[in-house]
Amino acid sequence: MNVLELNHVYKSFARSDSNGVTQAVSDINFSVNDGEFLSIVGPSGCGKSTIMRLIAGLIFPTAGTITLNGEIIKGTDTERGMVFQKPTLFLWLTVEENLNFTATMKKQRHNPDYMAEAERLLELAGLSEFRHDFPHQLSGGMAQRLALIRTMINHPKVFLLDEPLGALDAFTRMNMQDEILKLWQRSKHIVLMVTHDIDEAIYLGTRIIVMAPRPGRIRADLRNDMPYPRARTSDEFLQWRKKVLELLNFGQTIN
Amino acid sequence: MQNLNHLTRESLTELESAPRTASRIIIDYIICLMPVVFGCLAVAEYIFVPNLSGNVSTNSYIYFLCVLILLAVTFFIASLFSKKAFLILRYKAPFYAFVFILLTLYDYMTLKTGRLVLPYFPWADQILNAMWDDRAYLLDCACNSLKLLFSGYFSGAILGLITGTACGCSKTADYWISPFMKLVGAIPSPTWIPIVMVIASTLFSGAVFIIALGVWYSLTIATMTGIRNIDRSFYDAAKTLGAGRTQLVFHVALPFAVPNILQGLTQGMSSACLVLITAEMVGVESGLGWYVSWQKSWAQYGKMYAAIVVLCVVFVVVNRGLEAIRRRLLRWQEGLV
Repeated sequence: MNVLELNHVYKSFARSDSNGVTQAVSDINFSVNDGEFLSIVGPSGCGKSTIMRLIAGLIFPTAGTITLNGEIIKGTDTERGMVFQKPTLFLWLTVEENLNFTATMKKQRHNPDYMAEAERLLELAGLSEFRHDFPHQLSGGMAQRLALIRTMINHPKVFLLDEPLGALDAFTRMNMQDEILKLWQRSKHIVLMVTHDIDEAIYLGTRIIVMAPRPGRIRADLRNDMPYPRARTSDEFLQWRKKVLELLNFGQTIN
Repeated sequence: MQNLNHLTRESLTELESAPRTASRIIIDYIICLMPVVFGCLAVAEYIFVPNLSGNVSTNSYIYFLCVLILLAVTFFIASLFSKKAFLILRYKAPFYAFVFILLTLYDYMTLKTGRLVLPYFPWADQILNAMWDDRAYLLDCACNSLKLLFSGYFSGAILGLITGTACGCSKTADYWISPFMKLVGAIPSPTWIPIVMVIASTLFSGAVFIIALGVWYSLTIATMTGIRNIDRSFYDAAKTLGAGRTQLVFHVALPFAVPNILQGLTQGMSSACLVLITAEMVGVESGLGWYVSWQKSWAQYGKMYAAIVVLCVVFVVVNRGLEAIRRRLLRWQEGLV
């Protein structure tokens, strides 16, 4: 059983234009267990991505602690995989080489288990016949799918998704949401997904964290027990939509 | 109906372009035949137009033209059988024909009428004979030049790659090396020739040093720029995928900088060629540059041009090789291939 805990986490950044300091997130507390899908939703500038980067170990908290299974996070590790808004595929590597990046780093490239897993994931993402293509030859959806499986191949205990579908068109996006759900349901590891799409947050998350900006803080932490698959047009879904919009102070615009 | 699932690039172009009419096809083949026609005209001009009195000529030029014409004929025959060869020839033929016209014109202006006077403008026949008579020595000179060029080029390139990577990836290295880069960069490398020629133990090692210096400079700058331009998100992604600090350099920073590095290599090659010839003309007593200035001082312009022609061929071949490497390494870049 994996547990990720954030205790009174604060993060400030030095500003480049003046001597000042911007507080990105303030007093963030939550804990997530295996099997939970956490959607983090909020307007831009509320520190959603900062939280992701903190958990990934790319940056470190100014105050407070972040622990995974009781151990303080000291840097990046493949047990905490992250998918970014841009696919960040290595342009000079083919699809297959991108997928095997971690294996190459760990000198496991010819490990039969790893190769079998790579094969399975390529098949799953529908990229088998593009294995020798370079990233610029892929469509946006294909590129993002590759970014997803490139992280997934490491079986991370915590899967961080930083608006991975933000740059996709609406249809590709909805299909990808189903794919992410399927993958999570199979592994049942911890998933944290940042989004500014309220529908996406409600459609996917077992828990929804609503954030407020300047400084970024948690406004609400809600359980979403709707059974999967969720109907985007059901009354319950619309109720959820209303609730989240109100928390974000957009309630008045929809009557 | 043609099977649209198995189109090659050629058949697609053919399918989508408008059907060629009979007259268009005939014109295309005439154009493809033009190099042969103008080649024969060049031979005819050489044989039938009388020389200016006193100008002597041999048959070397005819042999030379015949070899070129033979190549053009082979290419034409190949184009009858291969679509690809045809398309290339159709594109290149007008220029090849133009080359024959230029040769004819030059011959007319020198050998036939003497508009361009000796000894500065020897006719092609003289240059060819000079090249043939002195072939052993010219080859030796070319080898010496290449030896010098590549010793300097490769040592400079390897060192430049190392310092460039260090400056790009480490602030400390940048702090200590950058000021020297700014200093050295302001001075064109031929400036060092007189100083180095005095200090260096042998002229060869001195010349190697100066060539390497120029290449080192352009490669350091290119590698550094390439690495600095990298999008931080590549590092972030690589880190979350388990790359360590050294691996970030070798698996992310350097591959990302490859286009810049190759540009630096090309730039370095042209500076290396420049320094090579200058060094050979000033100090080093072998090589093509030395041969050129030596023959010039004896007013042997035929031999001088012969060496210049060899120089051109050598440099063109070297640059072609570099370009081939570039294409191979940059397959991943959009729109290049």
